[in-house]
Order: sequence, then structure tokens, then C-alpha cells
Amino acid sequence: MTAIGTAPSAPPSETAPTSVGPADLWRRIRGPVGFVSALVALAVLVSLGAERPPEGLLEPEGPNPEGTRALVQVLQQRGSNVTVARGTDDAVAAMSGKSVLVLAGSHRLRPEELDRISAASGDRVLIQPTGPALQALAPGLEMTGRTDADTLEPQCGLPAAQAAGSADMGGELYTLASERQAADPAEKSAGCYPGQGGAGDALVQLDGGTGTTTVLGTGEPLTNARLAHEGNAALALNLIGDRDVVWLLPDPHVENGQASLVELLPRSVRMAAVPLAVALVLLALWQGRRLGPLVIERLPVVVRASETAEGRAGLYASRRARDRAAAALRAGLISRLRPLLGLGPDATPGAVVAAVASRTGEDPVSVRALLYGPDSTTGADRFSADDAGLVRLADELDRLDGHLR
Amino acid sequence: MAITGKAVLAAFTGTLVVLIAGSVGTWLLWTVLIALAAAIVLDLVLAPSARKVVFERDGDSSIRLGETASVTLLVANPSRRTLRGRVRDAWAPSAGAAPRAHTVRIPAGERRRFTTTLTPQRRGDQRAAGVTVRSVGPLGLAARQCTHAVPWSVRALPPFHSRRHLPGKLARLRELDGRHSALVRGQGSEFDSLREYVPGDDVRSIDWRATARRDGVVVRTWRPERDRRILLVLDTSRTSAGRVGDTPRLDHAMDAGLLLAALAAKAGDRVDLLAYDRRVRAQVRTHGRGSRIPAIVQAMAPLEAELVESDPTGLVATILGGHSRTRQLVVLLTDLNAPAMEEGLLPLLPALTSRHLVMVAAVNDPRITEMAAGRGTARAVYTAAAAERALTDRRRITAELRRHGVEVVDADPDHIAPALADAYIALKAQGRL
Repeated sequence: MTAIGTAPSAPPSETAPTSVGPADLWRRIRGPVGFVSALVALAVLVSLGAERPPEGLLEPEGPNPEGTRALVQVLQQRGSNVTVARGTDDAVAAMSGKSVLVLAGSHRLRPEELDRISAASGDRVLIQPTGPALQALAPGLEMTGRTDADTLEPQCGLPAAQAAGSADMGGELYTLASERQAADPAEKSAGCYPGQGGAGDALVQLDGGTGTTTVLGTGEPLTNARLAHEGNAALALNLIGDRDVVWLLPDPHVENGQASLVELLPRSVRMAAVPLAVALVLLALWQGRRLGPLVIERLPVVVRASETAEGRAGLYASRRARDRAAAALRAGLISRLRPLLGLGPDATPGAVVAAVASRTGEDPVSVRALLYGPDSTTGADRFSADDAGLVRLADELDRLDGHLR
Repeated sequence: MAITGKAVLAAFTGTLVVLIAGSVGTWLLWTVLIALAAAIVLDLVLAPSARKVVFERDGDSSIRLGETASVTLLVANPSRRTLRGRVRDAWAPSAGAAPRAHTVRIPAGERRRFTTTLTPQRRGDQRAAGVTVRSVGPLGLAARQCTHAVPWSVRALPPFHSRRHLPGKLARLRELDGRHSALVRGQGSEFDSLREYVPGDDVRSIDWRATARRDGVVVRTWRPERDRRILLVLDTSRTSAGRVGDTPRLDHAMDAGLLLAALAAKAGDRVDLLAYDRRVRAQVRTHGRGSRIPAIVQAMAPLEAELVESDPTGLVATILGGHSRTRQLVVLLTDLNAPAMEEGLLPLLPALTSRHLVMVAAVNDPRITEMAAGRGTARAVYTAAAAERALTDRRRITAELRRHGVEVVDADPDHIAPALADAYIALKAQGRL
């Protein structure tokens, strides 16, 4: 019947590509790309010439608190030629009869390397050596204890220690094995900075055939942080002296001859990983590319018309508002009954009760209690005392309603 | 650009080749990778440009909600190579477009027609979102892709479910027409014609002067006055967004309003439309004779309930300030929301009723009635009490409106349209228009 009207408006026939073309794309991204490249260039420029010095425990080039760059520089200023060796080969090549070898990090040396060092001539200063190092370079010396005290007194005749006085020598303590002492009484040894209870000395100097070997129980006095404390600097300089120094801090040993899991795989499998990665990237691109952009839509609000009533019902129930609920039920019934009883909207309660009582033949007092609740004089409403009463009220009102229809 | 599944398959095949024959040397790996990259690049180069494809649209632009529109897309391939691939004609999800994408094969210089059917789930305008072409190269490994804006819009008009009531109501309307002389002469009746008396006619309607001039007895017939003005006012404020059943109040109101408009148009009255919340959302004015039902349908189609409180002052001002200074029937399609009405419309009613005849039509919610009947458990009774309170408020506002001389039509969603039509016919029969 009702004719469908004309089209809303002649649909425009202007068609145009909306995807970004290469030129558009370039125009869009050149800003961000330029910004990022400028940042990268700036970062590269700033980082040039700012090489980070190596850091580590007793690191001769390390400015960190545990490093020993300060001592090395002091030695250099005093005319010593300090050679920093990172491997046994360098160290042995640099060592001579007049040089002193400072060995830190002996745990990184293998037995054959220790043997090569012990064969080389020259004085040696061992800093907190490991058991094998002790055995190879200072035979007969044993680690016999530790002390936690920071500062120790020299208490010996060694000039270097005596001149330096107390120093931060708290650490490992050594004792020369007694059989060794008995076997070769000609060998001179001096122990300084003893720990409490005679557990040993923190500094032991042995005079061997090829030169003296000094064992320090700790590298603490040599570090940048502690060099200026007590007699630390004096002790270190006295021990090392004005000779050429070879400072050996071996690099961590790289194990050769062991193949990793990847190396054990067949070559073709390793090679196939590259096309596999390409295939996975292509898979992601294939699945990730949508056929056109998402379409957005303005959705209408979905709200039930009965929402207010339902909300009010929830409030009544949660607060147990029986009086409100009873009043609503009663008012609803009365407003429905009034036209049936031939009464106007302004009928008094008395008139309503009288009309209902005469139609149903019930007791006006009970009808009044049902329809209007108790008077202020007669006390509490028996219907709104509990939930069961409210359910009963609803049923009673239904019964009355059924009677009158 | 886009990658196809074939390219992925080729890459996995390459992986397999390297895995099996990798021992021959690294050159195999490079060969596989370069061959794959070359094939993809070649495919991209050889694929016809998706950017240069030309489109043309045609098809339905207006349907009734529930019907299916078909929109055709003419895709022309201006390049010198065959365009193969997929074309997606994108519409919003609620447009119910099918199929999602077309597989196309268009030889060089030719064009093909593709049809997308739309079954909108909502009233209003559906706009085409864009046409995406994915042009696959000859090897089928890679594709060029481009989205084009090819505008079109399909308007889903109100479904007008109540039109099934129209024949019945029209028959009742005809009973009022001059063919029935039994009609009592009323305020809004006008003289229609004189005709021969037939047994059964009211003797009071005999025109004695005319009878005296003729042989037989002549009676006067009357008909309701024509060319009355009716203003349908749709309330599009927040209360009309609430859903009764599965449909917003606004749509129920439109359905009822359309039946009334169709009926009034047949009865020779003029129907105007005003949709208002805080401002005029739609307005249709009839000039001269005849009604503009199609215009009203079109104006209703894109209306949505706005989540704002209505502004009765502005509404009354708009109605009173309309071009028509003559008396008209103002049919206000809204909700009988007691607090909103008491604060808003009620105080302004006298201004409206003094000039016009006002009728308020509202859909009541069967869910409330259902809730009010709940018994047995405490929760059900609390719910019943809340529903009872809503119903009492509604009755109170109805009584209040009637006291102001406003006609109130309050019916459930299935009966609101015929009830409103009946109220209109009754007014017409009483000559109150």
C-alpha cells in the first residue's frame, strides 16, 4: 500500500582509491623515519671514543672500586713498566729475571699454565691463589685459615711490611708446612700480618731459587677503593717495588674441542632454519593481511524498557523494603478496584473499605487491615513483619481481587 | 601488497629441499631463497594494478526492513593483463552483506558485474564502506591490493508491520463516509449529498425542502469533514530507546504512526511529521492537498533514539509555532513516564490543548504486567510490587492527561497501532477533528 519513496538521494558515483599508495606512504613515514635515523646517528656519534673500560675484580685497567688502575698508574709514574697480560703466553713472554709477576685470578689458569709460570724466572706476587696455584708456585705453603678482621699489624721482620705498618690484610691465612721447613732449612721464609690465634699469616714471602714469591691472602689493599687506607699503598709499592711489572689477569678460559648442540646437528638441518624462518614470516604476512580495512559501525543502545522497574525491584529486595513493597501492592489494587466499585479517584479509605466489605461480605476491619494496613493506633502491620507476610499479603490481595471481578 | 597461501607453501617446500639436499653446499640455500624472492617480486610486477580498477554501482537504494536489497558492482579492468583475485564489497556488519568477497577473473579491458545482497538487521541508512581489490599475479604467489571508496547507500525503511490492519480500518472508515446517512450530524461533519430515501434510513435525515420539489423522499447525507490536519510527533529522546520485546519504543511508535498516516491519507486528511527530543530531528510538512506518506516513511527511516532528556518546552513551542495556525490533531507518540511527564509536559498542556486536539499514544511493556503477576517467593513479590508501582504511576499520569482533555491510547506492542487507528476513527466519527 504505502509506496516506497524515491531514493534518499541520488547516490554519488565518485569513486576513488582510499589505500595509501607508495608515494603517499613515503610522505607519511618520512618524518618518523628521518627522526629515528637522526637519533641513531646521534647515538653512534656520542658513543664514538667513549669506549667503556673493562671492569672487574683486581682489573688493572678498571676504574671501578674493585679494580686496581690507581695502583698501576702509581707504579707507572714511579717509572715501572707495567705490562698487562691477559693470558699465560703474554705473561711468560714479558717475564724476565728482573720483573715481578702479579698474578690475580689464578682460578682461571690450568695446571699446565701454572707449570709454565713456575718455570719462568722472576719474582712473583700471588694474590689469593687457589690450591693448585699455591702448590705449583709456592710449594709447601698451605691455606690454614681465614680472618674477618679488616686491619692487621705486620708483626714480622720483613722490611716491606714493617715500613708499611698496619694494612687491610684481612683474608686468607697461610702457613708453611712443617715437613718442608724441616727438609730445607736453608730456604728463607717470612710470615707477616698473622691472624688471631696463630692460624697463619696473611702475607708469606718465600725465597726460592728463581726469585721471591709473595703470597697475599687478599687483594683488598691493592684495590682502588682501599689503596689510600692505612699502609695499603706503601705495602703494595714495597712488595712490587720499582721493577718492571707483569700484571696477569687471565681471561676466562674458552673451552675448545667441545661442540654445542647446534653444532652437532647436520649441516642441512642448520641451513634449513633460514628458509623455515622465511616461510614462517610469509605465513604471518599471509594470515595477517586483511582483505580491506575493518568496517566500523555505530551500534544502537540496547536497554530494556522495564529496566527501571527491575532496578526498583532489586532495591526493594536488597533492602528488604517490605513497607514500600506492601504500599505499592495495596495502592495498585486499590487504584484498579476503584472503577469497579464505582468510586472516584478521590474516594476516602473509609468509602473504599465500606464498598469492598459490602460487596464481599467480609469484616470491614480485616478488609481495612488488608487494604490500608494498620492505623497508627493498632500497632504493627502483620503483613510487613517478614517476607512470608509480604507473600501472604500478595496472595490475599489476589483473592480479594478475584472476589470482586 | 599481500602474500598468498601458495607463497607460504613454496617457502615450506624450499625448506624441505634444503633439509633433504642441504649437504651439497650453501649455494643451494641461496638458490632457494633468491628463487623464492624473485618469484614473489616477479608476481607482484606482473599482477595488474589494483589501483587502476574502475568501479560502477547500481541496484536498490531503498527497501523495507526485513527485505533483501541487491547492489551490483561493475568492475572494469583497464589493464592489458587478466585481473585475477578477489573483490570484497565491504558493508557494516548489520547490513548482512553476502557474499563476503567475490572471486574474480576479468580479462584485459573487460568488465564484470557482481551482485552483493544486503539484508539489513536495522532500520536506517547502510553505507558502503569500500571496495577492496586483491589482484593476484600469474604465479599466484603474491598480490597487489587496494581499497577504493565506491559510495552507495541503502536505506532500510520502517517495516510497517501494522499495514495488515489497514484494510480493516479502511472499511471502518468507509462506514463513516457519506454512503451511510445514519450518521448523526456532528461538529466536524459536512454536507455531502442528497439521495433517494431507502428503507432503513433515519427519518430525521429526510430533507423536506428537497423532498417537496421531487416525487420521492430525499435524504441528506453527511460525511466527516475532510482536509483536517494531523501532526504526528515522534519523541526521540532517551525514553524511546527502551526496548519493549526486542524492538525499541521508537519503532513501535513509528509502526503505529505509519498506520495512522496511511489511514488519514485515505480519509483525505493531511499528515505532518515532527521528530523531536531537544531539537527537531525530522520534519515533514504537507503543502496543498494530498498526503506525503512516502516522505514521512523516508524521514522516519534514519531516526534513532538519542540518549538525551526530552525538552517539552521546545516541543510545545515548535508545535505551536508551526505554519499551521488552524486546529489540528497532535498525536504525541511517547512513553507515559510519570516523572518526566509531570515535570515536563503536564504544565505545558493547557497551552497545547487550547489550540489543538492532543492525543498521547504510548506502548506499554508486557514485561511489566508479567512482573506484576509474580507471586510465591519473596523476590517475585518484591518484583511484583515494583511493577505494580510502575503501573500505578502510569494509571495516575493517564488520568491526569485525560483530565486535561487529552486522548490517551495505551496498549501493548501488538495492539498499539490498531488502537491508535481506532481512536482516530472514533474522533472522526464524533466529528471532533
